[in-house]
Amino acid sequence: MQVGLKVWRFNSRTGERELQEYEIAAPEEATLLDCLDIVKDQHDGTLAYRKSCRMMICGSCGMRMDGAAVLACKTRMYDIAQAGHVPVISAMGNLPIVKDLVVDMEPFWDKFKSVDPFLQPGYEEPPDGKEYRIGQARMNVIHKEALCINCGCCVSECNSMEADPRFLGPQALAKAMRFVGDPRDGNKIARLEKLNGEHGIWECTRCYMCTERCPKGVDPRDAIAKLGAESMHEGIDRDMGAKHAKWFVVSAKTTGWLRETELVPKTQGVISAIKQTRFALDLALKGKVPPPFPPHVAKNVKESRRLHDLTTQQGPKGYMGIVQGERALGKLAHGHTAEDETLAEIYARPGAFTRPFIAGEELEAPVFLEKPPER
Amino acid sequence: MEATHDVLVVGAGCAGMRAAIEAYDAGANVAVISKLHPTRSHSGAAEGGINAALGNAAEDSPEIHAFDTVKGSDYLGDQDAIEIFTREAPGDIYQLEHWGAFFSRMVDGRLAQRPFGAAGSPRTVFAADITGHVLIQVLYEQLVKRDITVYEEYFAWKLVENDGRCQGVICWDLLNGGIKVVGGKTTILATGGQGRIYRTTTNAYACTGDGAAMALRMGLPLKDMEFMQFHPTTLYPTGILLTEGCRGEGAYLINSEGERFMKTYAPNAMELASRDVVSRAEQTEIDAGRGINGSVMLDMRHLGAERIIERLPGSRELSMTFAGLDPIYDPIPVRPGAHYHMGGIETDNDGATELTGLYAAGEVACVSVHGANRLGGNSLMETITFGRRSGRAAAEWALSNTTIDVPRSAEADAERDLRGLLDVTEGERPWQIRNDLGTSMLDNFGVFRREEQMAKQIEIIGELRERYARGVIVEDKGEVFNSDLVQAIELGNMIDLAACMLQAGIARKESRGAHARPYDYPTRDDENFMKHSITRWVGDGPVLSYKDVRYTKYDPMERKY
Ligand SMILES: Cc1cc2nc3c(=O)[nH]c(=O)nc-3n(C[C@H](O)[C@H](O)[C@H](O)COP(=O)(O)OP(=O)(O)OC[C@H]3O[C@@H](n4cnc5c(N)ncnc54)[C@H](O)[C@@H]3O)c2cc1C
Ligand code: SF4
Ligand code: SF4
Ligand code: FES
Repeated sequence: MQVGLKVWRFNSRTGERELQEYEIAAPEEATLLDCLDIVKDQHDGTLAYRKSCRMMICGSCGMRMDGAAVLACKTRMYDIAQAGHVPVISAMGNLPIVKDLVVDMEPFWDKFKSVDPFLQPGYEEPPDGKEYRIGQARMNVIHKEALCINCGCCVSECNSMEADPRFLGPQALAKAMRFVGDPRDGNKIARLEKLNGEHGIWECTRCYMCTERCPKGVDPRDAIAKLGAESMHEGIDRDMGAKHAKWFVVSAKTTGWLRETELVPKTQGVISAIKQTRFALDLALKGKVPPPFPPHVAKNVKESRRLHDLTTQQGPKGYMGIVQGERALGKLAHGHTAEDETLAEIYARPGAFTRPFIAGEELEAPVFLEKPPER
Repeated sequence: MEATHDVLVVGAGCAGMRAAIEAYDAGANVAVISKLHPTRSHSGAAEGGINAALGNAAEDSPEIHAFDTVKGSDYLGDQDAIEIFTREAPGDIYQLEHWGAFFSRMVDGRLAQRPFGAAGSPRTVFAADITGHVLIQVLYEQLVKRDITVYEEYFAWKLVENDGRCQGVICWDLLNGGIKVVGGKTTILATGGQGRIYRTTTNAYACTGDGAAMALRMGLPLKDMEFMQFHPTTLYPTGILLTEGCRGEGAYLINSEGERFMKTYAPNAMELASRDVVSRAEQTEIDAGRGINGSVMLDMRHLGAERIIERLPGSRELSMTFAGLDPIYDPIPVRPGAHYHMGGIETDNDGATELTGLYAAGEVACVSVHGANRLGGNSLMETITFGRRSGRAAAEWALSNTTIDVPRSAEADAERDLRGLLDVTEGERPWQIRNDLGTSMLDNFGVFRREEQMAKQIEIIGELRERYARGVIVEDKGEVFNSDLVQAIELGNMIDLAACMLQAGIARKESRGAHARPYDYPTRDDENFMKHSITRWVGDGPVLSYKDVRYTKYDPMERKY
């Protein structure tokens, strides 16, 4: 098949930038990476990009196609070429470009390193010298996070990083969750304290671009949500973001709806709220802010309160609560709504998805760690 | 010179990182040189698992593991090395688990183990279908924890020998350009495999045998170079691996006549026969004209959508992405592809080579644990156990007060060679030679080896060497991320290694493990060939000799499963 590509060339030494077009013949099964190889071999040996495994596991070949991050080796060209489309290929975003499609990954790895990405065991090694004993179900809690191949596609698309390049970003935070959720780790509180600092979890705008672009299903935004929930569960809630989230809950519970006028003082504090008064007044004049008094109470506020009670009753807090929520969603997604069927039964059905960790079952899936943490 | 270190590790796959960690823990100043970022190493692509006789899933012991390995090696493995290997493997696995490895587990919380080909007990520790990925991650985490220096995206090009010792490595800095010399009291080569010599391979683009080629140029012996293992289910046309798990779940292998042909070759085990048996059966069918486009079909349709989605999601994704076919609806074309190179730099049980100060570990080395045929799951274990042993030995040697002296001329020579490569303006682009090498190796030195074809291939390699020597054009003359230059150097490495493989292959007049000569020497000949072939580069070509297999207590018997 004939494939057309427009590639943004870049030379960091001279600063030259140029959109170069290539027209090549490629086999029908070719991926974007195969096409770049053909360009490099037969048309232009100076084109630079990274590659190695060509089977979407090494994480080398992250780049942008028509402005969205992809793994070149995972992107099949057949449909694109058949449609007569000539995609624009460029380097990933949010990282400095070194040459053509090659970015400098150092900022990426610096952030990775800054979250102490290694186990800090909270337990003595088992006296028999063998493995820590932990049920598979308990380990499944961090399965998604363990899939990350460090390709950088999420970082490339992260909106918050564009605004604050020092934001830890989706990859580092997903990695952090991999250890916060590991039952063998003994340093959860210190980790969470650090992640709640400047440029930490609360800087995320929840735009979900990371989850959208991740080629491995790591779902970094979900990991960030779990870190947030766990922080609040552990009482680490001084950040504006945490207060913001808490106010959501209070607001939903009391009036069944979000009271924006109170939101600002509750999350940013009174002083900074006063600074925003002008802005608020402008909004109010344009009819964007309902008057604070008397508070508007939603018609079905009872439902909202019941929902609140129900989630509180369910027990698990912090990231376990979110894990449980995911399971419940999974249950809905499978159309299993029979009231008397337990989650365990549902996952035992033939054809059901691999059985994940179900928070309420912690006792059934024992965690045999030899000694309690020494703290 | 950039810097000097006690221990320099070249390569950051499982073997290299494990060696670096051990050397660091032994008190040495360590640095790692790698042409890829560590987590991009091809160890990360391993899916199946890693073997250690933990006995979690069933009765097992290091002795049984050793017996299986010796037998699997077709009696070419060195038995003392294999005994050390199987004895130390369990401790190494526990160590990885304590570091945080994300292994799969049983309900009672212990590590799960799955059955693998030719193993007497289920002893393969695994992490779903991402075992290699999990190992690479945990080792890199430990590297970061120790803050070990990594020269990332440095392409190691030549070793520096001075005073009868290896004293450093000359590199090309990919990211910034320029020749960089790094001095080391000891150097450990852990550069991985060389599957890219073949056109159809499960190996990554980076698996070009650089370390073995560097050792060869220093006059060091390479061992058992003729033994390249072929995996029976690699995707047509790319060679991407579809795990043995597909057949484990019940997939059929079908020829163009719609027959489950394995019934002719292994009526009992059928599709689940050992790798070499299945690869040979497939090749026989293809050669007899019962293939489709040079492949046979892996048919999973009868397993049903549910089972495929649940148990083989990775294989389905690979098939859809790389062949455009969904195994739920279509049979998938597969054929044997070069997978694992048993041969490599000859080392002792501590990874030491013939040259003082130089060590080797992992797929680039040949201790030899795998002999003529590697068992699935043994190679990852080898990278860890022998990576650790060589790291320890190299650190101990380095810490005994040796100084480093890299002559200035070494760098000047490298600069001159570099200019030689970049200044070529007439000739051909490397890819043509690379394709010719890959295709001809697959045709003439693949699953089956015939005398005439090997003779022909020796000629072909001679011609390719000439074409390469006449000069290949590196179009990129720049400094920054010049991968064009690196690929040209890699090609030179592969051609020389291919020459070594062929010479050892044609001289081995028997069939043993991965070396199959059904047409002239169909059986194993223990009397004449229960020995390692040893290849050295002398003058302008390889020279072959032999060395006895180290033997402890396992007597040769017929390899039947
Ligand atoms: C698809 C696939 C699946 C596999 N599955 C299994 C399995 O399930 N179980 C099992 O036991 N084995 C398996 N194997 C085999 C096993 O994975 C490899 O043998 C093993 O990982 C090799 O590890 P290594 O550390 O020696 O090399 P690699 O992991 O390949 O690392 C080589 C390192 O050397 C560096 N390097 C190379 N050349 C240079 C140079 N010139 N300069 C600087 N650095 C250089 C690279 O950057 C890399 O860091 C599989 C292999 C493949 C291909
Ligand atoms: S959800 Fe958060 S982390 Fe993810 S891309 Fe958006 S801002 Fe970045
Ligand atoms: S989270 Fe996903 S997109 Fe981000 S680095 Fe990891 S694998 Fe890549
Ligand atoms: S080349 Fe390894 S992920 Fe694409």
